[in-house]
Amino acid sequence: MDRREFLKKGGAALAGTSGALGLPLLTSCGVNTASEDSPLAGRKWGMVIDLNECQSDCTACLDACRHENNVAFHNDKRWDIHWIRKVNIRSKESEDHTEKSVLLLCNHCENPPCAQVCPVQATYKRADGIVVVDHHRCIGCRYCMIACPYNARFFNYKENEEWPNTDFPKRSHGVAESCNFCAHLLDQGKRPACVEACEAIGVRALHFGDLNDPESDVSEIVASAPVKRIRDDWGTEPKVYYLGL
Amino acid sequence: MQVEFSKIEGRSLPFYLAGAALAALAIAGIYSTYLMSVHGLYLSGMTNRVPWGLQISMAIFYIGLSAGSLVVSGLYGIFGKLEYKPFARIAAYLAMLFLIAGLLSILTDQGRVDRVFVKPFTYLNVTSMFSINPSLYSGHVLICIIYLWALFREKGTLTKIASFTVCLWAIGTHTGTGAIFAFVPRELYNSALLPPSFVAAALSSGAALMILVKVAVFRGTGRPLDDKLVIWLGRPLLAVFLVCTLYVLLIENAHRFYLAESREAGTFFLFGGFHSVLFWFGLIIFGCIIPAILLFVRRTGTSVPWVVFSSALVVVGVLFERFLIVIPGLIHPPELFPGWEVTGTVLWEGIVEYSISFYEVLQALGVLGIIGFAFLMGLKFLPLAPTEARQIAPA
Amino acid sequence: MKLSTALRNKKLGVVVTILIVVMLLPFGSSAARFVLARDAEVPDVFLEMPLDYFNRCVEDTDYMRFRHMDLLKRLREEFIRDGKRGNVSLTKCRDCHTSRERFCNRCHEEASVILDCFGCHYYPEPDSVSQQLGT
Repeated sequence: MDRREFLKKGGAALAGTSGALGLPLLTSCGVNTASEDSPLAGRKWGMVIDLNECQSDCTACLDACRHENNVAFHNDKRWDIHWIRKVNIRSKESEDHTEKSVLLLCNHCENPPCAQVCPVQATYKRADGIVVVDHHRCIGCRYCMIACPYNARFFNYKENEEWPNTDFPKRSHGVAESCNFCAHLLDQGKRPACVEACEAIGVRALHFGDLNDPESDVSEIVASAPVKRIRDDWGTEPKVYYLGL
Repeated sequence: MQVEFSKIEGRSLPFYLAGAALAALAIAGIYSTYLMSVHGLYLSGMTNRVPWGLQISMAIFYIGLSAGSLVVSGLYGIFGKLEYKPFARIAAYLAMLFLIAGLLSILTDQGRVDRVFVKPFTYLNVTSMFSINPSLYSGHVLICIIYLWALFREKGTLTKIASFTVCLWAIGTHTGTGAIFAFVPRELYNSALLPPSFVAAALSSGAALMILVKVAVFRGTGRPLDDKLVIWLGRPLLAVFLVCTLYVLLIENAHRFYLAESREAGTFFLFGGFHSVLFWFGLIIFGCIIPAILLFVRRTGTSVPWVVFSSALVVVGVLFERFLIVIPGLIHPPELFPGWEVTGTVLWEGIVEYSISFYEVLQALGVLGIIGFAFLMGLKFLPLAPTEARQIAPA
Repeated sequence: MKLSTALRNKKLGVVVTILIVVMLLPFGSSAARFVLARDAEVPDVFLEMPLDYFNRCVEDTDYMRFRHMDLLKRLREEFIRDGKRGNVSLTKCRDCHTSRERFCNRCHEEASVILDCFGCHYYPEPDSVSQQLGT
């Protein structure tokens, strides 16, 4: 076999291989969307954070979240993961420079940019509106972190050494994660750990419920009180509302 | 015109030394990637606020370089400029290698490299730019291979068709690469001018690198090379590409700076820290303006050493441009609370820093080592380089 | 170069021979291991059965032995993506099959199938369990 022959056959073999590799691409288009018969359909979970009630030095919800979901804490700002975090802000305009402490978590957008850009559909919106990461699929490309305008997504640069809640899995290094409204608790009929923790210390700063149900706690607050969402103008339609922002 | 192509001897000491050095770099890069896949990506300099770093910048740099090589190759393939036939093979081969380098850089940057070959094929998300682009890249590599085969077999019609397809496809590839950043809701990314500016810078860097490679290959092997061929690549071609790059950069930044809503981000980009120094000195002055002037002035633009010097400046300048696409958009914080300033937080909330780590540099050098080694092997085992390249009289 | 002349090329022959030997090394080593280990005591890969009163798993023993990965994969998709959380879960396996070492690892090592469930899902460490059992 001379070189030309070799190049010819090699080229044909390469073309065939890539064609074979390309075929699954065609079949995978359009599948793997949330299935219709999901028991989650019909609900739309949402949260209202009452900043007037929330105390700036309290960390009950943060600790509960970290414990419930085995969220990694390495005591290093570069790699720490915060599914829910506190930010102190000060007004630039007003005379008195009012300070506020704001809880930030994944907004579970109706139009989630992170799910739009995930190349393997690991991040997606469940039928009940929660944006979840399927860590079995995540390839760790971190495009979702680029796309999230709220900086609410985090990457496991290091594996978590602690394992406080053995009923819930932790994450290997190399996958992205964010708040999932404690979906595993919701599916068992419970409420998210942060909401429970807030109520356990006697504060009513976090309200959680079904936005589609007009009777629910959150729907009533959203309908009656002057709620705000963070950067409503971006068109992401967050489902986390703030009172007193 | 009959052009003789031949393999290079590949037995001299410098050849072996270069091969060994590149192979060592490749092994170091593979080892660094192995360490990261075992211990986690914290070995790189990336953080939760700056999740993309050197490797992605290098990836888009390589992908940009491939375009310019193809354009030089297309001069012969599409426009039938016979005097550029001697360069067509080497250019097409380099274009293929650079695309592979881009894919390798992206691959080594993933958190779970073990899943990359499985999950995208089973669960592809067609709305993601990041899943569309690798298909564009691998298609590009494939067309390059067909094109190269057509060049080797001296098939006139197929060469023309393949060369035309590959140039069209290249536009798609580069627009897609720009869209990875442009289609994302971040203030410094979100710009429809990013894909065109990506294409312009890609063409400049590719043409500049072709000049460097050509001069290096011909001088290194002692084969005769007509100065006019190098100068023509520099004088009208590279200079025009540079002017296009400058123009798009000017419009993009002026637009950002002019509008009130993005003025803060625009100011940050232009005058906000170390990246601004890179922008003004690395990219604008030394990467675009000085080479453009050198090329346009008749005295310097017609001497090979000056053309080579300005090409080197352009390649480095475009490398900075790639870095400036990725990093400033990440270290600039999104404004979550307009009218409020953040005073205390657990996360890096304001403007953050990104420092490249040792392992990341090893990875980037490793990719360079792999394609450099492949290039040397190509020169040795494939008839890529012509025995001589001369200006021919127009027929 | 024609194939016939290539065959007569000594240098090429040496390179090809070395390549073939290197490629065949894994097969050779496993064949050698197989021959050497034939006489020795080989443990049955299907060993660890749970205590008698747990003798009913979610499916038949044969199904679980050969198709458990399909079941787990299907349930995983249903759990995470559709929220159908049934009674079966990976963490419940450990209620009956206490030793991960003897229940999972032995067979997976034999079949060379990498098992990465338990980096993230809690399953007692094999060491501590075997210590508890006194084995």
